[in-house]
Amino acid sequence: MPDQLTDAVILGGNRIPFGKAGGAYAHASNQAMLTATLDGLVARFGLAGERVGEVAAGAVLKHARDFNLTREAVLGSALSASTPAYDLQQACGTGLETVIQVANKIRLGQIDSGVAGGVDSASDAPIAVGEGLRKALLGASRARTPMARAKALAAIRPGDLAPETPRNAEPRTGLSMGEHQAVTAREWGISREAQDELAAASHHNLARAWDEGFFDDLATGFLRLSRDEGLRPDTSVEKLASLSPVFGKGEGATMTAGNSTPLSDGAALVLLGTPEWAAEHRLPALARIVDAEVAAVDYVSGGEGLLMAPAYAVPRLLARQGLTLADFDRFEIHEAFASTVLATMAAWESEEFCRDRLGLDAPLGSVDRSKLNVNGSSLAAGHPFAATGGRIVASLAKMLHEIGPGSRGLVSICAAGGQGVVAVVEGC
Amino acid sequence: MSVSPRPDTPDVPSDVEVELLTEAPSIAAAFATGVATGLRRPGARGELPGRRLVLTGVTQDVARLADFCRVTGGLIEDTVPATWLHVLTFPLQVRLMASRDFPFPMLGMVHVANEMRVHRPVRVDEELTLSSWAENLAPHRRGSTVDVVGEARVRDEVVWEGRSTYLVRGDTSPGTSAATEDPGAAEPVAGDRAGDDASPARQIALWRVPTDQGRAYARVAGDANPIHLSALSAKAFGFPRAIAHGMWTHAKVLAALQRRLPQRYEVTVAFAKPILLPSVIVLRGTGAPGPGSFAVTNRDASRVHLSMQVTDLG
Repeated sequence: MPDQLTDAVILGGNRIPFGKAGGAYAHASNQAMLTATLDGLVARFGLAGERVGEVAAGAVLKHARDFNLTREAVLGSALSASTPAYDLQQACGTGLETVIQVANKIRLGQIDSGVAGGVDSASDAPIAVGEGLRKALLGASRARTPMARAKALAAIRPGDLAPETPRNAEPRTGLSMGEHQAVTAREWGISREAQDELAAASHHNLARAWDEGFFDDLATGFLRLSRDEGLRPDTSVEKLASLSPVFGKGEGATMTAGNSTPLSDGAALVLLGTPEWAAEHRLPALARIVDAEVAAVDYVSGGEGLLMAPAYAVPRLLARQGLTLADFDRFEIHEAFASTVLATMAAWESEEFCRDRLGLDAPLGSVDRSKLNVNGSSLAAGHPFAATGGRIVASLAKMLHEIGPGSRGLVSICAAGGQGVVAVVEGC
Repeated sequence: MSVSPRPDTPDVPSDVEVELLTEAPSIAAAFATGVATGLRRPGARGELPGRRLVLTGVTQDVARLADFCRVTGGLIEDTVPATWLHVLTFPLQVRLMASRDFPFPMLGMVHVANEMRVHRPVRVDEELTLSSWAENLAPHRRGSTVDVVGEARVRDEVVWEGRSTYLVRGDTSPGTSAATEDPGAAEPVAGDRAGDDASPARQIALWRVPTDQGRAYARVAGDANPIHLSALSAKAFGFPRAIAHGMWTHAKVLAALQRRLPQRYEVTVAFAKPILLPSVIVLRGTGAPGPGSFAVTNRDASRVHLSMQVTDLG
């Protein structure tokens, strides 16, 4: 093991435009999307036939048959078949967590290069059979005689035949993510207007970024889709204001389909390496991974919001790095819901929250809104769960490289299960 | 539909008649015509129709391509499989073979060989001009063979060519010896001699092919020949059970070899013993990466179902 850590630099990324559930990628599996995205990355960086250190990726909605999803994608790609791969899953934090894993191995000198990211399909989601049918089928497969098999199958009741589709609900609370967030939005007094403004800005920023060609070297069209399918360049605060709330019933409900992310399909990957590997491949380093932190909150009984973990992770990370919010040039706060971003920023500005929950003497500070999600985020692009981290990291690295060496970016991603994955990235 | 001597189809020799189609022909209707008029065919004494069927403005259906990939074990991607282009030209083939001026009854024709040339990767978002014609009526030791040719263009560029060789048993044209074989044909029925050079030793994959494989492929490829659909309908044509489509086996092998295929390549296939459903089959081939020779056999390699040669066109 080396005495000193080497740098893990981001060399770029590739994603496919994100599709709406049931849209352009309705017939594409996770494996198909991940393979296409990997092949696009390989083509962009001239890695055909090469062995890279490893490929780490994951999917949140995953079929049992996809147990080796990432390795299968490698075998189906133009990368050398001698490239190892593994799957990782941390809900919506998956993509960023894979980046952290690969970066850490690079920093330790265990690998010299790696690909990280994820994929998700809400269209091709796995459907499980009910518990009664599952038990009967397992019993029948264990049976040694036709009679025993018939007996096992005879236990199936009509009600057992209803499939179990995956639900966007927390197993321990039965509440959907939106319903959880509605509670948080109300607690923090996040207004409908503020949410709609953030959503409109996300669409306008993403549309401008596409128009300016920002994604030309970050995305590759797939199955006739050349831009994010859910992007609405012509949306406005007025149009968004006309939508009815869908989460948090009754008086004061603020969360609509317009200020919540839609179910989406897509994949995104990031290429990382040591500065030496980058130089050997004549690839300019865009940014380096400085540090990362993961926090988790007790949303079940601890009175904290399901998606508030980044509010804890970021202050810990900044303290370790000796940084403040004023030290950043770009903030990428994943827009699970507009109110998530707003509640997180409100918490950092709250003296009470920072004192009582974080143990700080003073509020953490404010996020300069002109530096927040400047090229759009999940409300406009969509949010294929495990793909979001890769989308954000590759885009942020490019932005920081454009600003110049020493520029800083903060990534903050909330995840199901009350977790939050955050990272500091520095431009090269 | 219109029959016109000179529609806008570049590179077609000026003396060739072109039948310009306005929509993909219905395979079911063509089958019906083919069966109803099958008895009134002159056989090898007749002549092949000289015209080319042409269909322009063909857009590719992503959902159907996804089904095709699922049934043949491939992964949908922007570049389409060569065998998918065969499926797209198949309605034209069937229409040609069913038309009254085609000399052989369609249902008696056995697909014995296939040859395809991929001149460049074809993308799913490309609009195609498809054409099909028949040529090369040749005597064969067991009858006659005829080639039904397909072509896919993107604008004026020929991107894909396919050639399906069919054997009509026991029908030799007058004045030729039944023993002569056309040396130009892609070694049809080579696998009749099981254990030829067609079974390279290395096992690449083992597949369990279920009873309903023929029905599944028929749904995505439109080839509803009764010999593939059920044991009962296959028995009517002399097979003990339903048999897998040769082109399904072909597509399955190409999907399995996906990463070994060059950008531009030629693939020739000889269909030998039919795969009776259900079956366990084995793909064998050369061990090194890249193109080479491959075969689909039964488990102990005593029966060859398909032999394949893939060549890099550079």
